[in-house]
Amino acid sequence: MYAGHFAVGLALKAKEPRAPTWGILTGVGLLDLLFGPLVLAGVERASVTPAISPGFTLDYIDWSHSAAMAVFWSLLFGLLFLRFGSRVAGVMTLAAFSHFLLDLPMHPPDLALWPGSPIHLGFGLWQTLPVGWWVIELGLIAVAGGYYLRRSKASEEFGGRPYAVLAVLLALHLSNSPWLSPL
Amino acid sequence: MTTAGLAVFVFVGFLLPVPVLHWLDRPRPPADAGPGPSTE
Repeated sequence: MYAGHFAVGLALKAKEPRAPTWGILTGVGLLDLLFGPLVLAGVERASVTPAISPGFTLDYIDWSHSAAMAVFWSLLFGLLFLRFGSRVAGVMTLAAFSHFLLDLPMHPPDLALWPGSPIHLGFGLWQTLPVGWWVIELGLIAVAGGYYLRRSKASEEFGGRPYAVLAVLLALHLSNSPWLSPL
Repeated sequence: MTTAGLAVFVFVGFLLPVPVLHWLDRPRPPADAGPGPSTE
């Protein structure tokens, strides 16, 4: 999942406008922001699989994406925002953990319970629905984006350009489509 | 694409939209209240 993470982040922003937008959007992508450097450092492993949806396999991502580490990273991320108040810190924690929850239906069973755990989670829509996963994520973007649009129109605290935000979300989702993705 | 390329691609893909969406999400400036009271 890609743009869907950002869409959920924006819905969280609409729910808690006091939370800084950059923080929420960093939070929803935090596990993948960790994944990149961990792969480059050789701690985690992935393989590129051209022509096989989604274009890669995640062979060992236990330190960034396991359930236990997702809880750990999310709590740590939330703590960084305690100065904004406990409610904002809670929203930040939820934003970061939402990444794991949204990855769960898409990933094949590559999400360990904890680093080194033999138990792996993931419902595998990427593989069982090579095109359908994209439509399902589009539905999520529509729901979350619609909520953001509705709340932003009623608020002067955020969302000054909601249609441009939605256009960016759709562009990101298109760029990650089975037809246009470079993977 | 190599594995290292994939790692960089994912990292940049999740980082770049943050400032863009943050900027677009900022509040719209208050609407112009129109011309001030006439001084005539």
